[in-house]
Amino acid sequence: MRGFARFVRLAAIGLPVLLAAPAAGAQSGPPTAGTLAAEIDALKQDYEKRIAALEAQVAAMKAQAPAAEGKAAPTIRRAGDNSFNPAIGVVLNGMFSDYSEDSSSLPGFALGHESERPGKGLSLGHSEVAMSGNIDDKFRGGLTLGLGAHDGETEVELEEAYVQTLPGSGLPDGVRLKAGRALWTFGYLNEQHAHGDDFADRPLPYRAFLDGAYNDDGAELSVVLPGALYKEVGAGLFRGGDTPFGGSESGREAWSAYARLGGDLGRDSAWRIGAYLLDGEAHDRKIGGHAHGEEEEHGAGHDEEEEHGAGHDEEEEHGAGHDEEDHAHAEFFSDGAFTGDTRLFGVDFRYAWAPTGNARDSELTLQGEYFRRRESGEYTLEEEHCEDPSADSDEPHGHDTCETKRFDGDASGWYAQAIYKFLPRWRTGVRYARLSPPDDAEVGYDLSTVSAMLDWTNSEFGRVRLQYNRDSFGGARDDQVILQYVMSLGAHGAHGF
Amino acid sequence: MRMALAGALAAALLAPAAEAQVRVLACEPEWAALAAEIGGDDVIVHSATHGGQDAHHIRARPSLIAKARGADLLFCSGAGLEAGWLPLLLERGARRIVQPGQPGHIMAADHVEVLERPEAVDRSMGDIHPEGNPHVHLDPRNIAVLAEVLASRLAHIDPDRAAAYRQRLASFRARWAAAMEGWRKRAEALRGMKVAVHHKAWVYLVGWTGLERVAALERVSGVPPTASHLADVLEAVRGSGARAILRAPYDPEDASEWLSGRTGIPAVELPFTVGGRPEAGDLFSLFDSTLGLLEETRDRP
Repeated sequence: MRGFARFVRLAAIGLPVLLAAPAAGAQSGPPTAGTLAAEIDALKQDYEKRIAALEAQVAAMKAQAPAAEGKAAPTIRRAGDNSFNPAIGVVLNGMFSDYSEDSSSLPGFALGHESERPGKGLSLGHSEVAMSGNIDDKFRGGLTLGLGAHDGETEVELEEAYVQTLPGSGLPDGVRLKAGRALWTFGYLNEQHAHGDDFADRPLPYRAFLDGAYNDDGAELSVVLPGALYKEVGAGLFRGGDTPFGGSESGREAWSAYARLGGDLGRDSAWRIGAYLLDGEAHDRKIGGHAHGEEEEHGAGHDEEEEHGAGHDEEEEHGAGHDEEDHAHAEFFSDGAFTGDTRLFGVDFRYAWAPTGNARDSELTLQGEYFRRRESGEYTLEEEHCEDPSADSDEPHGHDTCETKRFDGDASGWYAQAIYKFLPRWRTGVRYARLSPPDDAEVGYDLSTVSAMLDWTNSEFGRVRLQYNRDSFGGARDDQVILQYVMSLGAHGAHGF
Repeated sequence: MRMALAGALAAALLAPAAEAQVRVLACEPEWAALAAEIGGDDVIVHSATHGGQDAHHIRARPSLIAKARGADLLFCSGAGLEAGWLPLLLERGARRIVQPGQPGHIMAADHVEVLERPEAVDRSMGDIHPEGNPHVHLDPRNIAVLAEVLASRLAHIDPDRAAAYRQRLASFRARWAAAMEGWRKRAEALRGMKVAVHHKAWVYLVGWTGLERVAALERVSGVPPTASHLADVLEAVRGSGARAILRAPYDPEDASEWLSGRTGIPAVELPFTVGGRPEAGDLFSLFDSTLGLLEETRDRP
């Protein structure tokens, strides 16, 4: 046994030498003891040289990296291809809903399918797949797909596809440039994905003015200014393809500007306020009146009768009143296509107070937003909405229109909400939202919704929510109950203030 | 137009650079305290969290973005502790000198040995850090290491006052070594004392003092203990000879008090960080009072 061990040891020493020998002594004859020793010496010298070179390299690297000095050697990780994969997150969302009314239109406003309420009974809300990662030392990118079931088909919406500069990009401190499609800065909720909302549905002003959210194609520059108070200003240029715009012709038809202030009040509460402007042109913006148009027409038909009773004298003031007589004025706004200037102005505030400093234990947040939309242009109704198509619509001028309505006026809406986390896993909240339709729609009343919710959060990643809404649209009342789950798996971006 | 904007921005950016003091944003109070020791009057230190807060769960408040925007040095625990909010501060504040890899970016866990690195992670394990346990400050030897790192970074950022930082480091090092000698002796006397903990945040203290952890109230880290798990813990603690149930100021009291009521083992709230209790006003008193509370509990009949 001992002999064998010695043989192994010798072999271990000799084998590398023998293997190396042909390379080192390729030109020499058969190895003798003398040549072998010389070769080993040469090898030794060669290795010593290499080691010295490596040491010099290490020393040079150390000298070059003063910033990294003191850093412990990082633990060795296997850096396979996967380590460069983007962070992937999935949001799963499902609900059970029940409504006392079948129709869900907002009189005086168009309702795009992003802001339609989900169908009765069991349904999937928006599921999301999000990927993001650093592109290099200067850029970061992200892609979010929204998957929704609509009329029995799965629809994929490209919610976000953006690149943005990283702080090391060479732009001045505090400056960020973002381009592509993104949830742009407007108000409080717009920037956040719907799964981060405190209620199962977006409040009325978001549904009416932004069809849920403004995620147009474009670019936005934002600057956080130095100073103890949080001050952020920004501006953007957009295609104008998303509500409140649409049908962009030049591809750069909208722009935005905003300013925000924020700070702390004492040790455990914080606030932020902002003002926002979104201005641009719409060309044949058509967001309502597709497959469910049948239902809406019936709903609008009722209003028509009421309108004619209530607003007859007003109608006479309009010069163009004659052609419009057959249609509810509200229908222009809910089913018509708008072409003209549209400007949305918004203000928002948010206040958060965590009594112990730990928002995880208990927290009160107050939040509100006010939007005002000014439009100047024309609403056009398609032929199918004309009960008595006028003769000139037969002319082959390429437009299926039978009536237009000149509009120059405002609509506005706001909501305010309070959410209280009374136990680490339980939150409750109330929300009041109100919409004032354009005067010309002659709806005759404001629309309001009162909501209350209770949700249970098992971890940061899983939440179950029960919500009750009461819509009061004039005399019509709709009671709604929604039971919802929102769960996310995989990478999950940090939620802001 | 664009040039004018860039010019105005450049002017706005150059102004604060002329300010005299180095602005340090610490994520936790212990690092703020260390920065104050080494930086003295040459730095303005702000802590993003206070002694009563759990640094896992902080909102990226507007005021913190403003602080990150103006910071010359960022000093945090790292190892994922601030993963829920720090990336947002860094991104929105967009201050280059405090970004990862820059001299103004110190993550304590990058400079010391990190314990409890899990072999595999899954969300079902709760709020777990793939990078290991980030609460490295509760071993005073780690504080000594970070003091050196901090002093060299401050000297790099503010070379004019490098001598002052070196001087304060020398002074701190001497005082810390002397204090550690005292703590080492006291810790020796605590060696083997059995404790139950609320959250697994105490691993560095337990390791350094030689305490023995017999149970953790949170089975899944970051998820409040469930009734059935508490029943298991009760069983485990009852016969274990545990002398204390440790919790941090930000841990909810109910679970540890319930366990204490059932077992008669005192529940002890340790300061955990500077400002966690009134008597823990700086790094020295943090360890003094922590050891004091443990000794007091041990000496109870």
